[in-house]
Amino acid sequence: MAERVAITGAGAITPIGCGYEAFRDGLRAGCSAVKRITAFDASGLPTRIAAEIRDEADDLTRWVEPRKATKLMSRAALFGVAAAAMARKHAGLDRGAVDPCRLAVVMGAGGMGPTDLDLLATQAGAVIDAAQAGGSGGWDIPTFARLFAERTNPVATLRGLPNLAAAHVAIQNDARGPNATITTACCAGTQAIGEGLRLIQRGDADVVLAGGTDAGVNPVAVLGFSLLGTLSRRNEEPGRASRPFDRARDGFVIGEGAGAVVLERQTFAEARGARVLAELAGYGVSCDAYRITDERPDAEGAARAIGLTLSDAELAPAEVEYVNAHGTGTPMNDITETRALKLSLKAHAGKVPISSTKSMIGHLLAAAGAVELVAAVIAIREGFIPPTINLDVADDECDLDYVPNVARTAAPATALSTSFGFGGQNACLAIRRW
Amino acid sequence: MSGDPSLVNGRPLGDLIRQIVAEVLVIAPDEVQPGSALIRDLGAESIDFMDLVFRLEESLDIRIPYTRWQQFLRVRLAGADLSMAITPEVVQAFAEQEMAAR
Repeated sequence: MAERVAITGAGAITPIGCGYEAFRDGLRAGCSAVKRITAFDASGLPTRIAAEIRDEADDLTRWVEPRKATKLMSRAALFGVAAAAMARKHAGLDRGAVDPCRLAVVMGAGGMGPTDLDLLATQAGAVIDAAQAGGSGGWDIPTFARLFAERTNPVATLRGLPNLAAAHVAIQNDARGPNATITTACCAGTQAIGEGLRLIQRGDADVVLAGGTDAGVNPVAVLGFSLLGTLSRRNEEPGRASRPFDRARDGFVIGEGAGAVVLERQTFAEARGARVLAELAGYGVSCDAYRITDERPDAEGAARAIGLTLSDAELAPAEVEYVNAHGTGTPMNDITETRALKLSLKAHAGKVPISSTKSMIGHLLAAAGAVELVAAVIAIREGFIPPTINLDVADDECDLDYVPNVARTAAPATALSTSFGFGGQNACLAIRRW
Repeated sequence: MSGDPSLVNGRPLGDLIRQIVAEVLVIAPDEVQPGSALIRDLGAESIDFMDLVFRLEESLDIRIPYTRWQQFLRVRLAGADLSMAITPEVVQAFAEQEMAAR
């Protein structure tokens, strides 16, 4: 019989709490972390609310050694490094406990635009001056190149590379095995953990640090998603803005943070006497191959990813006891996802508790799937189902049990976590009590 | 910046260099001692020298192409083990050269 893969540690940097315990308490309390944006002056934007990491952000540098490494980290990279360090500590996996060449890293990353406001200002300034030099002929590229080179610290350009979160996690943990970055947008965190599972199953690693990280509360990302019409504009009621499956939902709310888990080969975890949080039992992935920002109306791609996950985990639909939904709160996603769950879980879709933790922490983009898998692990470990808050009146086409507004006492033995990205990428993970 | 060439905005150049090195390496200024090897003792890596030259440009208000730093090292520290040989004094000598060449 094939070896199983154990989840032995979990770390989370989220707007409702940093660390396993704080995140658990936040999920149980069922409060929104969405507020007016403080990271920058958002007064000129159509959406001026987000779920930010606030007071804790500075303190996260204590997870980094030496401190100089923080200089080369984007905000997202710092979140990812901190989440991975938390997960490793949670797993009790000391340095030296694993052969560095058998320790892998897979991270979901790669948000929209630079998160470094200084770099953004430098770029903008160089473009403006180059436009003046170009006159009516548009901006003058040689002038831009010269000004950008003069004004930009080379360090700042390094922070923007999406693969560096995984590189920093590797350096911090002396992880010399396979190292990969998944950049499938909102699906990335889920896919990163799924590909981590495959690394162990293929025999390429004994231990994987897997997760996702993103820092989308910056002008470029907020504006970009605004232009695409995907963000809630409920600026006057931030705490009520993220409302998946609700009839009055008007888009998602950007959040920021990171999630990470320690995955271990069963025999490896057993040999070191590790406490196992849950089994990572299955993974499925598909693509709509349809349109960039529209999901297939028949939900075939999303349903297939869920179905593949069930087969991989050898789970029957009726054995699924909790679903942490993608549940973004966009009009389209919540309807299509409901359809996908009905297609894949059949009649059981109407019986299983389904919730969207994005209602509390917003949409963490490339980090979303990783943080939500941690939420699913918490549901299995801690005896409750996190709620979907702000669910007052469900959409007519969203007619399942979304665990409205209040956490529910339950002891699920299995759970699914789903993620669907712009571009049509769909992924799903299954976990099972060990 | 007229008068004593060893002063930058009225401040001794050595002080400024120590502060820049400390900022680049994210350490306290008093950890930057005379003769400290930036690479071996203070943990500098290649990107830090790009950061260093960029900060020198800003502080001294002169353009310094990175190639000038590389050329300076080739001449001044020819054959030396760079992990040991690049000290605050070497950085200061480079700054003085660039200020004089302005």
